[in-house]
Amino acid sequence: MVKQLSLILILAFFALVLNAQEDSETLEVSRIEVNNYTWKENRVSTNQANHSSFEILNNEFENAHEVTEACLSCHTKRDEEIMATSHWNWERSEMLEGKGAVPVGKKNILNNFCIGVAGSEASCMRCHIGYGWKDQSFDFDEPRNIDCLVCHDNSGTYEKAKGGAGYPSPTVNLNYVAKNVGLPKRENCGVCHFWGGGGNNVKHGDMEIALIDGSRELDVHMAIEGEDMSCVDCHVTEKHQMAGKLYALSSENKDRATCEQCHTDSPHANQTINDHNLRVACQTCHIPEYAKANGTKMIWDWSTAGVLDDEGNPIHESDADGNHNYLSIKGTFVYDDHVTPEYLWFNGIANHQLITDKIDTIPVQMNSLDGSYKDKGILQKSLHPSKIWPVKVHRGKQVYDTENMTLIQPKLWSANKGDSAYWMDFDWDMANKAGMDYLDLPYSGNYDFVETEMYWPLNHMVAPKEQSLSCKDCHTRNNGRLAALNDFYLPGRDKNKYLDGFGIALVVMTLFGVLAHGSIRIFISRKNS
Amino acid sequence: MKQVYIYKFFERFWHWMQALLIGILMITGFEIHSTYNLLGYETAVNVHDISAWAFLVLIVFAIFWHFTTGEWRQYIPTTKLVKAQVDYYLFGIFKGAHHPTKKLIYNKFNPLQRIIYLGLKVLVIPVQVISGFLYLYFHYPLKGFELDSLELVAIFHTFGAFMLLVFVIAHVYLTTTGHKPLSAIKAMVTGWEEMDDETIRERMADDIEIALLKTKSQFKGGSGESEILDNALTTAQEKAGIKAILKDNKFRDAISSSGVGYFCISKEGNYLEVNDSWAKLYRYESQKEIIGKHYRLSRTDEDFADLEKSVEKVLQGETINHGEVKRICKDGTFGYHTLTLAPVVTDGNIIAFEGFIIDTTDKLLAEKELLKKKIRVEEKLRSKNT
Repeated sequence: MVKQLSLILILAFFALVLNAQEDSETLEVSRIEVNNYTWKENRVSTNQANHSSFEILNNEFENAHEVTEACLSCHTKRDEEIMATSHWNWERSEMLEGKGAVPVGKKNILNNFCIGVAGSEASCMRCHIGYGWKDQSFDFDEPRNIDCLVCHDNSGTYEKAKGGAGYPSPTVNLNYVAKNVGLPKRENCGVCHFWGGGGNNVKHGDMEIALIDGSRELDVHMAIEGEDMSCVDCHVTEKHQMAGKLYALSSENKDRATCEQCHTDSPHANQTINDHNLRVACQTCHIPEYAKANGTKMIWDWSTAGVLDDEGNPIHESDADGNHNYLSIKGTFVYDDHVTPEYLWFNGIANHQLITDKIDTIPVQMNSLDGSYKDKGILQKSLHPSKIWPVKVHRGKQVYDTENMTLIQPKLWSANKGDSAYWMDFDWDMANKAGMDYLDLPYSGNYDFVETEMYWPLNHMVAPKEQSLSCKDCHTRNNGRLAALNDFYLPGRDKNKYLDGFGIALVVMTLFGVLAHGSIRIFISRKNS
Repeated sequence: MKQVYIYKFFERFWHWMQALLIGILMITGFEIHSTYNLLGYETAVNVHDISAWAFLVLIVFAIFWHFTTGEWRQYIPTTKLVKAQVDYYLFGIFKGAHHPTKKLIYNKFNPLQRIIYLGLKVLVIPVQVISGFLYLYFHYPLKGFELDSLELVAIFHTFGAFMLLVFVIAHVYLTTTGHKPLSAIKAMVTGWEEMDDETIRERMADDIEIALLKTKSQFKGGSGESEILDNALTTAQEKAGIKAILKDNKFRDAISSSGVGYFCISKEGNYLEVNDSWAKLYRYESQKEIIGKHYRLSRTDEDFADLEKSVEKVLQGETINHGEVKRICKDGTFGYHTLTLAPVVTDGNIIAFEGFIIDTTDKLLAEKELLKKKIRVEEKLRSKNT
């Protein structure tokens, strides 16, 4: 009876345990499962109209505005869609903590690269999807000002002029470009987004021209020998509104393009790893390093700018990799490649140091990412718990008003000398005054340079899975990736030194006691025999 | 030397499974704690998780087993003899003294074991299970039930791990303090523990005393008989120090299936009372056949003299735990059993004596067969050699 009971218990035990094991061994599928995505081999070239046969595009265009008119003659009302986008307005209203609803965007937010666009529009607006934004007089309600081609050019020949306030180069054949339009490709987005900060990969660190024909090692999604995805495959677009946002400029946790939209929040066979997604962003493990092809700017010190050569001409100096390390117009730089990200808690909400804000922390936090281990998302600022994110931190030193204690927007660019533009005249005081006057903001006349930090959450250059982080990269005693993120207890990294000391002492004492006891027993029994 | 069956089948399975799982959990757990690198962190975590679930299932089964079999009573703590035990491990063991406690079927743990094992069961393992669950499911501060920090959980879990490690070291060492260095481990593997004759005799005596209960529960009739047994019971209880156990019905039932024979014989030597088991062991069809007859019937002539001497002593007030004796059954065949004899006292006068018998015939016959075989083999070998 007892024996039967035992047998039943034992058999049931094994049945339960083995069954549980089977469940946990969900076989990994040969290809990653994704939602809302069409595999490359299943894509059909969309039924895009062949624009080359359209008569209206054969008439020689006098200027770029005429191209836009031609586009809008068929694509009616698209101008209204465009005019509702941030790509057009370079600002939108966002809630900033402690500041309420504020219009923020490239129009008015300062960074610690080229600082800001105000006063230098004619140059900066080379990256605006419009024609003619050279100063504050630009008409945002004029549909003819829209530049359709910069995004839709599939000919690869379209180019905006330097210092041309967004107009194309005179060399561009507008008719040829207009006949070869289509969905935006990586090149279209990249022409601005790869070149932010005045050079390839300067700003983001994870977005640069190498992605146009990149390898799988560089980025699993965009690799040409792989899925060859375009930007808009993830940055899903409806009515010209593109999903995704950049926290250098925006603040609220909305309209984001996420990994989960294709991969779900539990893409791994291992549940423990899926659980990490509650508090660890996909990017943290899957973007182990950035700037994997070309270097990215890590430090920009404006305070050294202005040194000219004997003839009074600006100096260019480059480091061994060919990256600038000194420019008279901009100061000193440090580039780096294959950079390990820094890791921060982030709940999707950012704040910004506005030009009107007093400086109260040094380094000045140009944009601050909100979040902490204890931020659970509920009844707090964001609906989602903070997650650990990989971030590029760009450190700088830039001009500020020592009396008003605000950052300064200097006027940097002008086509001519004597216009107070720093890049022409190398006079900070004049440039500061011109820039602040342009914005109708006070400038005391006293300035210095202050250290700044800016945070760029990383999203691109997703590594092949075999290169993603493994447990020990973080769950390790010393020098792990998360060594600096210590507002929480991380198994494998943290321990209670008193408990461990006590435990080890206890174990050692027990071992010693047992050995001593045993030795005495052996000794005495030998003696007796 | 003799073998005594101590650990039942499931008990042994449970013990070794638990040993295996605790070992795995310990090895992987300390790797997760970054104490060393062995299997790789991910493997360690996965193995730790799976073993934790297996352990949980095992715990559920073990709890079920402990309660259905009543074995949980083995863990009721007692302070009796603790000091003697400590003295033994600190001094006596070096002088070759006997361990102050005995290992019995109904009382197989000594007081230290009871305390330590109970501590493991109700303290350390629950702490590990609960903190392990918190580790698995509530490690992130999230909505609902949540933890603001994993630190406290980690402290408890690590503390439990150290306790278990210390326990394992001491436990493994103490297995060597048995009759022979490996006899305790051998017993845990086979269930049979090697004991010397003296220990077995003591063990049997104790088991018989506990078995008194069974007989008592079989008496349904007169209050006089019940009283006799009550006295005997009290004696046995006091001796065994297991009052809490004997009061329990389940335990009595367990004893009632053990087949212990009871007899009560008058001062003059005539059977007053025997129980069912006794009658069966002596191959009587009913108890009535023997009542009123003399106990001389139960022995061969030469053995009877021995018994008479014992009875004399018992009638003087002594209690005797006999070793193995040979009985003559009704049909003239022989059987073997162990025997206890105790006086029955009423108003200060010994009016009868009573006792219990536990059959050992099967075992003895088996041993004899083995011996015969051994002799045959030896003879064969000898003839071959010559």
